[in-house]
Amino acid sequence: MKANNSKAIDIQDVTKVYKLYYDKPSTLKERLVFWNKKKAEERIILNNISLEISKGETVALIGVNGSGKSTLLKLMTKIIYPTKGTIKTYGKLTSLLELGAGFHPDFTGRENIYFNASIFGLTEKAINQRLQSIIDFSELGELIDSPVRTYSSGQYMRLAFSIAINVDADILLIDEILAVGDQHFQDKCFEKLEELKNNKKTIVIVSHSLDSIKKLCNRTIWINNGKIEKDGNTREVMEEYKKVCG
Amino acid sequence: MKNLINNLYNYRLLLKSNVKKDIRGKYKASFLGILWSFINPLLTALIYAIVFPFILKNTEQHYVTFVIIGILPWTYFVNTIIQGTTCILSNAGIIKKVYFPREILPISINISGLINFLISCIIIFIFLIFSGIGFSKYILFLPLIILVQFLFQLGIILITSSIEIYVRDAEYIISFLINMVFYATPIIYSANMFENTKIAWLIRLNPMSSIINSYRNILFYQTIPELKSLLITLFGCIFLLLIGFIIFNRLQRGFAEEV
Repeated sequence: MKANNSKAIDIQDVTKVYKLYYDKPSTLKERLVFWNKKKAEERIILNNISLEISKGETVALIGVNGSGKSTLLKLMTKIIYPTKGTIKTYGKLTSLLELGAGFHPDFTGRENIYFNASIFGLTEKAINQRLQSIIDFSELGELIDSPVRTYSSGQYMRLAFSIAINVDADILLIDEILAVGDQHFQDKCFEKLEELKNNKKTIVIVSHSLDSIKKLCNRTIWINNGKIEKDGNTREVMEEYKKVCG
Repeated sequence: MKNLINNLYNYRLLLKSNVKKDIRGKYKASFLGILWSFINPLLTALIYAIVFPFILKNTEQHYVTFVIIGILPWTYFVNTIIQGTTCILSNAGIIKKVYFPREILPISINISGLINFLISCIIIFIFLIFSGIGFSKYILFLPLIILVQFLFQLGIILITSSIEIYVRDAEYIISFLINMVFYATPIIYSANMFENTKIAWLIRLNPMSSIINSYRNILFYQTIPELKSLLITLFGCIFLLLIGFIIFNRLQRGFAEEV
């Protein structure tokens, strides 16, 4: 199938079922002994969801805890796979599910830039080009050559965010991490996201901070109990959402 | 398949930095550092060299060199299989958070083991020189034999590492099997000791036998390796590797949930 030029993410009839074990058999003995006991309860996290996100859109996913927002995001990144249905993404994709995943505490900030960016699939040359802007953005200065374990949690987050935001992906998936660092740095992150938005990057954000969503996103999708409750203009969806959950 | 190769190529830096991390992280807090990859097999070989001449009636001449040529590739094999089997599990943190081709993890374990092995080959060369055995032109076969071993190990750990996620017994079963295979591999004894006995077929069936025998042929006996047996092993390993990739690909879909 030829990729539609304007599409960034295409989700068709996706259902995701988690198996919940009360007592998960992870050894052979348990598997053999309990093979006929149905201890798994199936929980439907996402129920037959279809949605399309075009290139350049900035989309927010909102909903109460446990509604399936983060699962949807994880499905888009290909960390987990749908039970049914298909998900296609077009273009380079970066996800910020958790900042600093894969940081190695004993390595310096600089080394971790290489390591972390390589997890995002960058080549050495590409990282060399971005190195300075990552360091500048993080505002870590000389600290960049100290081991990451000596960083404060705020500095740690700043470095992680700087790497992820400078990867230059076409699609950026962000999970509730807009509250990074101090006020000054948060503003800066916001500016950067605005800039990416203006550069026609596709951004999908999961957040509970309705104010920042209002500023950043044109489109909002409200997910409730594994289904799309409402999808459309941020202001309209937000009003409905506030009526029910506010 | 083409997709996979493409994907791995794009993530080559991750592979490189993972290998670096494996090698540097391994001996980080120890005094002797990387020297341990020499000392350990060397000491093991010495123990065998002291004990076995008493047990076996007629050991080879230059028995220490003989054993070391067997022990070092075997150490590479054991380390790779043991670490490789748990490599997905021990990286649970990033598996759950970031997408990257999961094959990177077992491949980088195998590569960092290989680098360790290549460094420790210096010991083999030192022993060859000082025992007066020296080198022959057949040493040119060395890369081929190492390749066979590399593919064999990769095939195994692709399968075991992905099964380990679903059945945690895998690592215990594997470490027992390795102990067993040790005795079915001509490391401390020479392969022809069991010729014409009832278990000769068992030793011949073991791919590691063919690999260790080939190392020994080119380095110790300085003859051409048994090409037929080596080629059969090579094709077997390629077949195993393909099956490994298929199984891994099937099972990797559940890694983030099961790990």
